Amino acid sequence: MAGALSDLKIIELGEMVSAPYCTKMFADMGADVVKIERPGAGDRARTRGPFPKDVAHPDKSGLFLYLNTNKRGVTLDVATRDGFEIFEKLVAGADILVHNVAPPEMDRVGLNFDRLHHINPALIMTSIVPYGLSGPYRDYRSEDLTLWCAGGVCVLNGGGPEHPELPPLKTFGHQAGYQGGVHAATATIAAAFARLLGEPGQHVEVSVQESIAAQLEMTFEYWPYMGMIATRLGQKPLQPVETMQCKDGYIYLCCIEEHQWRGFVEIMGSPEWADEEIFSDRLKRALNWDALKVFLEDWVSQQTVLDLYRKAQAKRVPFAPVSTMGDLLNSEHLQARGFFVDITQPVAGTHKYPGAPLKYHRTPWEIRIPAPTLGQHNAEIFGGRLGMTAARIDDLTRKGVI
Amino acid sequence: MTKPPLSGIRIADFTWVWAGPYCTLQLAHLGAEVIRIETKTRPCVTRMLPPWPEGKFDSINKSGYFNQYNQGKKSLSLNFKHLEAKEIAWRLIKSADVVTNNFAAGVMDKMGFGYEAIRAVKPDIIMISLSGYGDSGPYREYVAYGPAQVPLSGLSALTGYEGWPPMHAGFSYADPNAGVHGAFAVMAALYHRAKTGEGQFIDMSQWECAMDLLAEGILEYTMNGREPKRAGNRDPQMAPHGIFKCLDLPEKIMDMTIDQWIAIVCADDAEWSGLARAIGRPELAGDARFHTLAARKQNEEALEAIVTEWTSTRRVADAVSALQAAGVAAGACADNKYLTEDPHLGARKYWVELNHPEVGVKRHCGIPWRMSATPCEVKAPAPLLGQHTDEVMTGLLGYKPAEVEALRKKGALD
Repeated sequence: MAGALSDLKIIELGEMVSAPYCTKMFADMGADVVKIERPGAGDRARTRGPFPKDVAHPDKSGLFLYLNTNKRGVTLDVATRDGFEIFEKLVAGADILVHNVAPPEMDRVGLNFDRLHHINPALIMTSIVPYGLSGPYRDYRSEDLTLWCAGGVCVLNGGGPEHPELPPLKTFGHQAGYQGGVHAATATIAAAFARLLGEPGQHVEVSVQESIAAQLEMTFEYWPYMGMIATRLGQKPLQPVETMQCKDGYIYLCCIEEHQWRGFVEIMGSPEWADEEIFSDRLKRALNWDALKVFLEDWVSQQTVLDLYRKAQAKRVPFAPVSTMGDLLNSEHLQARGFFVDITQPVAGTHKYPGAPLKYHRTPWEIRIPAPTLGQHNAEIFGGRLGMTAARIDDLTRKGVI
Repeated sequence: MTKPPLSGIRIADFTWVWAGPYCTLQLAHLGAEVIRIETKTRPCVTRMLPPWPEGKFDSINKSGYFNQYNQGKKSLSLNFKHLEAKEIAWRLIKSADVVTNNFAAGVMDKMGFGYEAIRAVKPDIIMISLSGYGDSGPYREYVAYGPAQVPLSGLSALTGYEGWPPMHAGFSYADPNAGVHGAFAVMAALYHRAKTGEGQFIDMSQWECAMDLLAEGILEYTMNGREPKRAGNRDPQMAPHGIFKCLDLPEKIMDMTIDQWIAIVCADDAEWSGLARAIGRPELAGDARFHTLAARKQNEEALEAIVTEWTSTRRVADAVSALQAAGVAAGACADNKYLTEDPHLGARKYWVELNHPEVGVKRHCGIPWRMSATPCEVKAPAPLLGQHTDEVMTGLLGYKPAEVEALRKKGALD
């Protein structure tokens, strides 16, 4: 059966994470995605790795291979006149254009909706931009770290009350990119749905900063509601909700409801100290955390992660292991659900990758082709789709346009 | 007359806490009619969590947490101890395009609203279940709370200061991540239904959805058999790449000194030269300890000390302006006060400030996208519990006012 989105033709002018993750979500559901990269170096994600055996190679970067499954790839310098003309031809035949070209570069290249809308009135153009297309920070230089901070996340994480000298801490990887990408995918598919029902093409603008600020749990509202600043330095309001070390790894203790604490106390064999008044409710356990922590650390350090996890879950206590990558790959639950997928790409070889974010019971999520090598589909797209002659392709290749 | 993209789409929304409501918030932002099925006997957890305008819990309608993630939705209050409440929920489901929930697997079945039961009476229904562990597999009934999903996903093992234990992300990140992926999935299913007439069930595991955010860590393991090392705020290919101390806020907030930080990244040598100029030390650009990425990585502690020396005597906004003027990626490590007052977000009209019957006008985060042909806007603040019960019962489900009164008396409508 064809994927749910298999009738959509998408052009991606994307680098690193946000635009590529956005179009990956469509591609893995069947959409036809052509990815445009700079001639020569290609997408910066090709330099990021991880690489098999640590040998850097543009066609072997783990990040790139993951983010660009099910896409065909061409090289094209859209900053040249010839290049932009070819780009316009590709866009003329597409349903959706997704890009994360930063605003100053958009201006320089002439990448704007009005111009492309004129060529293709049904086009949906999605611009994923760091701070949006308006406002005083429009043209700010940014990287994933500065955006994850600008959205308000990093200040919530790090040293805590015991180590205020340690800086706020970034979350692993390229989380600003992922959140920009998935929020953009959400708005873009809404536009595609509306178009299916008769609405015109349109411009969809997504601010990465705003996408992050939209998901700060309750912390944003502490200022407007209570005039309080939420940071990593405050005491937790209830306990235990904390990482602790076992014999063989780390576990996350999570007793939010009273019955969960009682379950945990039973698992510990109902020690006498647990009856102390100072530990009698979740608020008191937070106020007296220094004392409680000593008892818990002592007991937890003698346990193994999986054993404590299973005992807790058997009593409906939501503990979780602090999973290592090995734990994830070896998880019986994830194996039973078939989460990880083998993907073979001729240059990089076969490896296991994270699979579908959701399981649709009727329409497939599937890997049809691996991520493209740099310029792999130039002949197929420029020759086949646009009807350019081999001589013209050669000429443009020599000029560095392709 | 423009209308938002999901106008005319109705969601029977059984979600609560955060992941599910974040999913249906996206759908409400996009114009869907989202009707929350709530109950006074067990109100949504976030209705009872802070922040509250007077600093204390005196109403289930005043939580800033709830009010942020339920903007533009309606609330129908039912008590499922009464059979009539089930009948009302069934009428709503039959009138809906999509049914959403984020209970653990099996709970909707126990309530009588499992996918098969709904499909039997409404074959083209789209149903999404955003559970912690997914709808199959040996741990399907395990309990998952937001904070624990971050370590479970593998993100904690990868996040932390070099040589220190694993750290959290600082918020229940897997929840909104699941929610927004879920919103995409619902619309992919709506798209498919519009073309074929077919509905379907969507099984989301919040755990799996979060693992899609850490492919680099997973591939380090599957390609090279290694667990990645925690690296703090540093990056193998950029230096400096960190968060640096600025001057504290000049005023104390609730008797606390508030520290301020700036994120700074130099992606290449040119940006490093720019930074050196901006901090008044242009000679550093050619300094052998720092003039290439390899050199900066090797001398990263000395490098970070130089940057800190400059940032620590400056206000964050001044430091950001000076570095941006020199072409360096720099930005405030924003806290909630900073964000609430950010002139940029103000200029972009990002905030939503609607008059809520119990908390008045408070600033909330709005919609992170702009659409030129089908503009989206938050039309109403988050609902009071049961605020739309009468409207939904009489306007939508065809009950007569007298019937509504009788059902209320009986307790089916709480």
